[in-house]
Amino acid sequence: MPNPITPIMQGMKITFGHLFKKPVTLMYPEERPKVSERYRGLHALKVSHDKAKCVACYLCPTVCPAKCITVEAGEDENHNKFAAKYEIDMLRCIFCGYCVEACPVDALKMTGQFELANYRREDFVFSKERLLEKK
Amino acid sequence: MVTLTIDDKQVAVEKDTTIYDAAKKAGVVIPILCHDKKLKPFGACRMCLVEVEQMKGRLIPACTTPVTEGMIVRTSTPPVNKARKLVLELLLVHHPLDCPVCDKGGDCELQNLAYDYKINTNRLTDEKFHHEIDYNNPLIERDQNRCILCGKCVRICDEIVSRGALTFINRGIKTKIGTEFDGPLSCEFCGSCVSVCPVGALLPRPFKFKSRIWALTKKTSVCGYCGTGCNVTLGVKDNKVLTTVYDENQGFHNGQLCVRGRFGYQFINSEKRLKTPLIRKNDQLVEATWDEALSLVAQRLKGAGSAAAALATPRMTNEELFLLKQLMTVQVGSQNIDHSAGYGHSAVSEGLAKSLGVAASSATILDIQKSDLILAIKTDVYETHPVVGFEINMAVKNKGVALQIISDKKGKLSRLPGANLLLNKPTTEVVLLNAVAKVMIDENLTITSATPELASALNEFTPEKAALVTGVTADEIKSLARAYAAADKAVILFTAGLSYPGADAQLAHAAANLAILGGKLGKEGSGILALQEKNNSQGAIDVGFVPGQGGLDALRILEGSATGTIKTLLIAGENPVVSYPAKAKIQKALDSVEFLVVADLFLTETAQLADVVLPVCSYAEKVGTFTATDRRVQRINPAIPPVGQSRSEFKVYSELISMLGGQPVATPAEAFAQIPAYSDIKYNELAEGGTFSSITLQPVQIVPKANMVVSDSGNYVLLTGAALYHCGTMSLYGEGTLAVSSEAYVEVSRADAVKLKINDGDQVKLTSTDGVIELKARVSPRMVDGVFFAPYHFADASINTIWSGSTVTSVTVAK
Ligand code: SF4
Ligand code: SF4
Ligand code: SF4
Ligand code: SF4
Ligand code: SF4
Ligand code: FES
Repeated sequence: MPNPITPIMQGMKITFGHLFKKPVTLMYPEERPKVSERYRGLHALKVSHDKAKCVACYLCPTVCPAKCITVEAGEDENHNKFAAKYEIDMLRCIFCGYCVEACPVDALKMTGQFELANYRREDFVFSKERLLEKK
Repeated sequence: MVTLTIDDKQVAVEKDTTIYDAAKKAGVVIPILCHDKKLKPFGACRMCLVEVEQMKGRLIPACTTPVTEGMIVRTSTPPVNKARKLVLELLLVHHPLDCPVCDKGGDCELQNLAYDYKINTNRLTDEKFHHEIDYNNPLIERDQNRCILCGKCVRICDEIVSRGALTFINRGIKTKIGTEFDGPLSCEFCGSCVSVCPVGALLPRPFKFKSRIWALTKKTSVCGYCGTGCNVTLGVKDNKVLTTVYDENQGFHNGQLCVRGRFGYQFINSEKRLKTPLIRKNDQLVEATWDEALSLVAQRLKGAGSAAAALATPRMTNEELFLLKQLMTVQVGSQNIDHSAGYGHSAVSEGLAKSLGVAASSATILDIQKSDLILAIKTDVYETHPVVGFEINMAVKNKGVALQIISDKKGKLSRLPGANLLLNKPTTEVVLLNAVAKVMIDENLTITSATPELASALNEFTPEKAALVTGVTADEIKSLARAYAAADKAVILFTAGLSYPGADAQLAHAAANLAILGGKLGKEGSGILALQEKNNSQGAIDVGFVPGQGGLDALRILEGSATGTIKTLLIAGENPVVSYPAKAKIQKALDSVEFLVVADLFLTETAQLADVVLPVCSYAEKVGTFTATDRRVQRINPAIPPVGQSRSEFKVYSELISMLGGQPVATPAEAFAQIPAYSDIKYNELAEGGTFSSITLQPVQIVPKANMVVSDSGNYVLLTGAALYHCGTMSLYGEGTLAVSSEAYVEVSRADAVKLKINDGDQVKLTSTDGVIELKARVSPRMVDGVFFAPYHFADASINTIWSGSTVTSVTVAK
């Protein structure tokens, strides 16, 4: 039978070790975390030539497992397809990132924006204007 | 039978089968791009290449090669796959690869094959095409940059539609699909080319960018326009019918539709649909609840007896017509019920009823291609029932069926190869048919001999005298009689409906006599087929929605409304103000009737005069059955829930029956079971495609009345009828049909145009004894001098302003 004190001592050693390490907790919200590049937060619609890159191909709403993306295509003056309506219901989104992966024109990304709390249900539905990438 | 081996599977197939079809039978799928089961083998794309043991050293196209005994076929060996890959790579060199914005995406055969054969890169490169894209056509968007030159559009437009609007133009790498002089597409807009295009080169413009094909729920139904009874698939998303979806295996017509069926669906979800009941208060129609509206109607109908009357549209289901009939005859106690202005159904309900012993056509649409000779009375047969027209095209072009036409104007039908047109003076069809019967009797060509009454009554109709009356030479009449008698199987077709008062009981008798004398009844490929106007015209007759004992017919009901004997008038879906003859009279009648109830989808010109308007459902929102003009009984199921607060008429009349103390049947199936004409059909067993109601023919030779007078007033005469792009007045609410035919017009012959100094597009003023109307002139090579033709659908300049219901109206013309 080993000495019953030994495991306790081993545990204490780890605990004390941590006392002298840099803390992982942040003084949120004063202190802000630096999220990773590949973090999957709020979506953004990429912009190119002052227009959303999205061509309303309907692939992201099709692939989305939570069925939370609504796209309605429109025809612009040059007969091109664009997203007249693009909405994501963030209450239903499971942040899987499939939509980004599905996009054939690389029009969609997920940002580090994770503060999505809100007071009203409607505010969780992000319209195209709210999703457009901010420069 | 020929036996062969395909991918180690033994199959036995008919001689002349292609390898492709044999493989299909063996359950082996060979990829195709240019082949279509409805079209003749073409062999343009080389996607279907296979290896044949006996023809080693080269690859064989499966779609054009007939099978031979003992053939050993391999469909996916490495050389085959390699060749197919190259075919795809070659096609993709010039293809724009804009799948994300192409509406064909998800339903594109090129996309699917590129995926199946894993074409991720291309060894070949070249500049893409820069063809101009046709964005201006309201129904068909043509983007030749996406075209793979399979030729399916060209072939379907020629082989089935017989229009020839598209063709290959230029040569080599510059080849493209073009129109006449490469100008804008102007055609029938049947959309057949769109439906078979394997890629996104031809797309339905009204559906552009509306949805992805995979996001649509597909609901099968029966077209709610004409009596052909085509099956349609509606593409539904978010409870809206967004398009029609092509299915090459659907219906007897293999998915073929006409412009109305394919592009005229927008009325279903139209902004203009009535959403709530309306009640007239202080001379204004104001919104009301169903309870208010129905109790008002019930109150008026209670004990009204024969002071009440109902006019219904044969667009309603059999079950709805059954209930409305019950409501009127049992609960209200009135026999005054009718449809189609009374005369619109007389050819069948009276003519064929007496001549054939059954109020229905003896032949079906399927008989057309099985016949030896088609006798079409009026070229309008094509315009009123375009998919029947396709059957005629195929019969004549592929099966060598002879086509004889008696008509007062030329038309699409008379341009078919080998068509023999007898151009008669308007209204003389019966004289002409009688003369044909006379020749058959005189020359001993009859199989059933004529009764003495008929024979003696026909005595005056000698071909020589008839020639004077009809304008057709005696020789032509004789040769028609001989041709008809000589044909082993022959079908007679004619159009009946609101705008064809000439298609009456007499015409039906005369046509039936030919069939009886010639022994062309009761066998396959033979008989009489009356093409009735609306989707359920035959059903309305089968249900018996016609005046009962002592009841008034449609025109008398309206007269009674004007004089005050009819005090409560219920109009279900008809729009007499536009579609019945003599507008002024109708308007007066509807203005003076004490209480007018209109049940409709829209606030039509008639509904605007009503005291109560009930919003009811379109065919896409209800259950029930329609009976096509050839007795095909088919079930419809709802594709979407009722629009707004609209209710199915089944529900509306059930409720009214209960309110008047009756006991309505609970379900459409129960109503169906009570319709005697369908006693041998089980509602629940009706599958897609339906069942023909059975009939027993008891042919009787009836003497058709016809005037042997030579009419030549020197005046111009106006014929009414239907236009290809419309059916009744409902298609005016379909944006697709409206986009290609939006305004009233009158067709004028070239010589008359010169004489009257009319140019195409001029406004001309037509005056008859009834009134004056201004219409846009269309100078048309199909018209005969002295004869004008105007379709009756358009409310803005409705032809009933000057037309009082006679077959021809004498008019004067001024610019
Ligand atoms: S991240 Fe996933 S759940 Fe969220 S919108 Fe994209 S696909 Fe849908
Ligand atoms: S997948 Fe991309 S292009 Fe397509 S709808 Fe979504 S964001 Fe737009
Ligand atoms: S719409 Fe019909 S008529 Fe017009 S080009 Fe296509 S197939 Fe031919
Ligand atoms: S337009 Fe379509 S159907 Fe016609 S040839 Fe091109 S790919 Fe074939
Ligand atoms: S209108 Fe008549 S011919 Fe055209 S699709 Fe409908 S049922 Fe068929
Ligand atoms: S499918 Fe056989 S050659 Fe096109």
